[in-house]
Amino acid sequence: MHDAQTQPTVYHKNSLGGSDIKVEVRDVSVSYGEKQALFNVSLDIPDKSVTAFIGPSGCGKSTFLRCMNRMNDTIDGARVSGSLKIDGAEVNDRAVDPVVLRASVGMVFQKPNPFPKSIYDNVAYGPRIHGLASGRDELDAIVEQSLRKAGLWAEVSDRLQDPGTGLSGGQQQRLVIARAIAVNPEVILMDEPCSALDPIATAKIEDLIDELRENYCIIIVTHSMQQAARVSQMTAFFHMGSLIEVGPTEEIFTNPLESRTQDYITGRFG
Amino acid sequence: MTDSPRTFPVREDVERRLAKRYRAELRFRTAGLTAIGIAVAILCILIGSIASEGVPAFTAKELVLRVELDADRVDPEGDGSVASLRRGSYNRVLQDALREAFPGVTARNDLRTLFGLYTPLNATRLMDAVLDDPALVGNSYVFTMPLADDLDLYLKGRLVEDRTLPTAGRLTASTDGDIVSLRSTTADFTALAREIEQSMAAEARTLELRVEQVRLALDQVPAADAPRLQAEADRHAAAAVNLRQLARAPDGFLPLTGDVPSVIVESGGQAFRLTQLAVDGKSARGEVVLGSGLVENADDWTLYVVDTPESRRRVSDQLIIWTRSLVEREMIQTGFNTYLFANADSREPELAGIKGALYGSILTMIITMFLSVPIGVFTAVYLEEYAPKNRVTDFIEVNINNLAAVPSIVFGLLGLAVFINFFGLPRSAPLVGGLVLSLMTLPTVIIATRAALKAVPPSIRQAALGVGASKTQAVFHHVLPLAAPGILTGSIIGLAQALGETAPLLMIGMVAFIADAPSLGLAGFTEPATVMPVQIFLWSDGAERAFEARTAAAILILLALMIGFNAVAIYLRRRFERRW
Amino acid sequence: MAFGLGLDCMSIITIVALALLVMIAGGFYVGRSRAITAVEGATAGLHSLPNYHGYYVAIWTGVPAFFLLGLYAIFGGQLVDRLAVSELRAQAAEINRLLDDTLAADTDFIELNHAAENLRGRVDALNDEISALRNARGDNRDPDRLTRLRAEQIEALNLSTAAEDAVRARRQAVVAAVGADAVTDGASERALAGYELAQAPRERRQLFLSDSRRIASGELASRDSVALRAAAQAIAGYDRNVKIGAAVLALALGALGFGLTRARISSQFRARNNVERLVTAALLLSSVIAILTTVGIVLSLLFESLRFFASVPVLDFLFGLQWSPQIAIRADQVGQSGAFGAVPLFAGTAMITVIAMVVAVPIGLFSAIYLSEYAGPKFRQIAKPVLEILAGIPTVVYGFFALLAVGPAIRTLFTALGFESVVTQSALSAGLVMGVMIIPFISSLSDDVINAVPQSLRDGSFAMGATRSETITQIVMPAALPGIVGAILLAVSRAVGETMIVVMAAGQGANLTANPLESVTTITVQIVMLLTGDQEFDSPKTLSAFALGLVLFVLTLLMNVVALRVVQKYREKYD
Repeated sequence: MHDAQTQPTVYHKNSLGGSDIKVEVRDVSVSYGEKQALFNVSLDIPDKSVTAFIGPSGCGKSTFLRCMNRMNDTIDGARVSGSLKIDGAEVNDRAVDPVVLRASVGMVFQKPNPFPKSIYDNVAYGPRIHGLASGRDELDAIVEQSLRKAGLWAEVSDRLQDPGTGLSGGQQQRLVIARAIAVNPEVILMDEPCSALDPIATAKIEDLIDELRENYCIIIVTHSMQQAARVSQMTAFFHMGSLIEVGPTEEIFTNPLESRTQDYITGRFG
Repeated sequence: MTDSPRTFPVREDVERRLAKRYRAELRFRTAGLTAIGIAVAILCILIGSIASEGVPAFTAKELVLRVELDADRVDPEGDGSVASLRRGSYNRVLQDALREAFPGVTARNDLRTLFGLYTPLNATRLMDAVLDDPALVGNSYVFTMPLADDLDLYLKGRLVEDRTLPTAGRLTASTDGDIVSLRSTTADFTALAREIEQSMAAEARTLELRVEQVRLALDQVPAADAPRLQAEADRHAAAAVNLRQLARAPDGFLPLTGDVPSVIVESGGQAFRLTQLAVDGKSARGEVVLGSGLVENADDWTLYVVDTPESRRRVSDQLIIWTRSLVEREMIQTGFNTYLFANADSREPELAGIKGALYGSILTMIITMFLSVPIGVFTAVYLEEYAPKNRVTDFIEVNINNLAAVPSIVFGLLGLAVFINFFGLPRSAPLVGGLVLSLMTLPTVIIATRAALKAVPPSIRQAALGVGASKTQAVFHHVLPLAAPGILTGSIIGLAQALGETAPLLMIGMVAFIADAPSLGLAGFTEPATVMPVQIFLWSDGAERAFEARTAAAILILLALMIGFNAVAIYLRRRFERRW
Repeated sequence: MAFGLGLDCMSIITIVALALLVMIAGGFYVGRSRAITAVEGATAGLHSLPNYHGYYVAIWTGVPAFFLLGLYAIFGGQLVDRLAVSELRAQAAEINRLLDDTLAADTDFIELNHAAENLRGRVDALNDEISALRNARGDNRDPDRLTRLRAEQIEALNLSTAAEDAVRARRQAVVAAVGADAVTDGASERALAGYELAQAPRERRQLFLSDSRRIASGELASRDSVALRAAAQAIAGYDRNVKIGAAVLALALGALGFGLTRARISSQFRARNNVERLVTAALLLSSVIAILTTVGIVLSLLFESLRFFASVPVLDFLFGLQWSPQIAIRADQVGQSGAFGAVPLFAGTAMITVIAMVVAVPIGLFSAIYLSEYAGPKFRQIAKPVLEILAGIPTVVYGFFALLAVGPAIRTLFTALGFESVVTQSALSAGLVMGVMIIPFISSLSDDVINAVPQSLRDGSFAMGATRSETITQIVMPAALPGIVGAILLAVSRAVGETMIVVMAAGQGANLTANPLESVTTITVQIVMLLTGDQEFDSPKTLSAFALGLVLFVLTLLMNVVALRVVQKYREKYD
């Protein structure tokens, strides 16, 4: 067994510090009850780009993702330590209100989870609870804009009142993305957003992610190395709860510095 | 967050509404907690009110009498045979013993009141004692019997409001015919006299108010009712005038009627019931209830007040005085209420017990257990392991789900129409009760067993079938034993439910008054009987106040039984719980 | 434990049962060993394990015989009674005939009877007149005459009752005289017993029989007489015969089963398959009992209801506004025929149910929400069992609680608020307590339903920055709504069918009122009232209970079917 705790992370050039840092992570550890799931992760995530977290199942990448919008709070017995700043503001602090935080950090889950409501209400959910729209017209505009950004408008504009659960898997996932961007977040977290989708739907989502990159900081957890290579600019490799290596995607895939990263990418384990 | 160099675009908007949203959150959360709080509070009130009512019924005030079992009283034939002993006048024996305890009571009416200290049914108990041991004839014997129900309640402080007032002076009493005159050296009666005067005035005021009300109402009622109302108003008005007159105490004495608190003076084994209080607070007049009526300068005397007026209670002043005297002479003891457990139902609360109902419940539960558990388990095994997926099976399943929700009283109607009228089984019998409750419990057992069978992983069945076991062998050798704890738990919970069920048993006549406990044997199944919850229902309807306490006590016993059942179920679940 | 088995009772049946047990054990052993000898000990050559051969023989030896004994246990006493009674009656036929002749010739009796009949006619006529007058309109209404007629009616009723008493008394005298004559004529004791039984009023007959049964089994009877002893003798005789018959038959069945099955045992005999087929048959038979129960419920309710609707039209029953069945206790009784309009009962049931739901739905639902969405595991561990205790308390206890605490509290409260004549037994008291009873029902069903809402929906909502209450009210509750509606429907059906609380707490007045402080009555209360007094199975009064039962059954069945459908659909959606 690797002694992951003491293993230092290998940082590529330009991967720690520098300009346009959106998320700054220092020494974050997570444990669930007795079991520690994440060990001292430090990492910088650039704005207006896609950062991919890769690694075998159970390596802690999803756990880490859930730290960014404090979703670990909803799990009994989860403890998070270390510092995690978004735009220089500390996230991992009792004083920070997760409600406010989550309004600015959107999240897309593994399985599409549209609410059992109409398409319109799904997208309008965030603006409504946060009171972002002052009237019906504004809300309509937000919904349309979000659906357009998510590339779903053309497909659903004539049936906004149909239930969101009636859409196909890929459409549902885009609906969920539209729902997330309706509150105009700064960061969008995606937890294996394509793992439940067929290749065509996956391609659409990947195109969408590429477009969204212009306006948002996107962090995506994925099992598929091809996907990471296709959509991301930065890649971080996790293994057994530790961040092993992080750097520009091209370098990680062509010239990994760590043997374990090499092994994983070439498919020797994972 | 204030030190943040930049703010998110939506953050301000979100934060503006935040306080309001958190208030809504708090309200919602509080509502949830309140709901649970209410439920728990109601449970506490329920248990608390029943326990406070029922716990005193577990003790009984008992009259201990030394009775003389003279041969000519209890053995009229003189041959000591059972037939002769059965014909003895045991109630006379008890009466004699009481007369001896109160030699001063001679008047016919007073004696009748005195014998109200116990119920004559106790004579049968004395007879049973003699029949058990004929050697008692001719000897004296210490006989213990429960005090009459109202006096039992009185002594437990649950019937009347009473208090003892302090006295300072010396008391002197002298008799003049039937009237006794009392004098104290200090004004010991003053406070009392003032109080009674005020209560008379208050009572008069209430009456006058009512008269006014009635007079106002007179205009609105139909003409036919007017004379009656007018008469009522006149009666009240007259009563009020009379009260005011009396309260003025024209001859210096306030009369103590049955509508004001009773005042009793006790001194050295003597007891007087006051009828008049002097306004000067030093003297009073009354009647002698116990003793000679002569007291010389006694400084040890008690002024005892029963605030509940005599007209508004079920025990007279006389009985109260005698009872207090018996307590003083230690002829009344407090003991564990064995009657509650050793007796079947009775018309007299102090002798009524739960034995009959308990036996009835046991017999009924035996039938229920031996029918519903095997049939329920078999049905569940069939549906879960054997049944082909077809419409018949679906129909059976829908059927069982619906049966689970059929009101219990409908099962009673079924029992009445089918078991009693059609098959001609005896009414009121534990057999029929058990049959009805079995049918009612069946769905519970089936549903619990199916859940337990479902929880056994298919791999167990596959493993058994894989080594060549037949389906029946796989089920009976492997699946059923693994599901047994779940089945047992479900069955016990179903039986506990049946134990508390009342309504269907009313339909099949288990609601009759039955003074004998059924025998705990084969014959008992067809003898008329009742069960615990029905006994509770019957007692709750009882006219005597003492039945209320018995009802509560019976409920406590029933709840204890049910808690026992459920505790066993929980223990089994914990002990054998297996997670796959 | 002292079993109430006399030695005599112990004798035959118990011995036979024990003998059968021995036979079963023997059957098992014989079946087994015969199978082993059939293959000369090489058990691998058997089709089935030797034990299965044993089981096979044992089952056929024991089951039919014990089934017969079971039948005897249930119907034996019945059979003995019937046989004994019919014999006693046959013996008494002579004296009964004599009595009929004497009565027919007794002028006093005939005259009294005649007078009584006349009076009855007069009462009937007055009844007709009064009801005509009551239904009259306008000028024909004459209150004075009505009052006068009422007075006359009461007088006539009193006279009529007195006359009937006289008839009865005369009849009793003749009965006694004929009986005395029969004694002097040397009639047999059994004939006299049959005579006494035949002439006893209905309710005394049961007592007579039970007393003679007690004497027959050597127990203490409530009274003792020559006739009783003669009857006891007859009963004892038949009892012995029936008992011996049952015993012999049971033994014969056992032996027959044993013989037939033993002969079939061979190496090729498929004993296991046979045994398993029997087991499967037993299992199937058990599940048929559930169906039989439903069939029994439906048939018995339908059958008796149809008899009721033969005398009271269905529409009058379902839409009539007046309920007063007490008047028609006896078919021949004077007075009105009773009113069977069930609307007041439906209204009372509805009112109490609504009150109960107003209490139970918010408390139950909020408890469930708190327990499943807010409470930590420790709080849950304590609070859930507490709610379950509420569910486990017998309803008769709730009824007593209503009588003891809730009713008086309501009266005190509303009297203090200035309401007049508030009663302790009211719709409000019953409804409140029933609501408490229903709380755990709603909370546990809703808890299941809420927990079935997938966590991913909650996560989605939290990730959008929703608070917990927003997530619950806007996501979880709408998602769980069908299930909760189903739960509430089940609870309503529970409340409608609940009996003891309303019997004890709601009073019995069939008031058609919207005031919850008055006492009302419900379907279940009336069923209890109608069936716990004296019953005469042909009177509409008793039969109406079954009609009410039918309404109750159909009502709850509909609600359950709908509710189960809804809940099931909902479960499928998220499974």
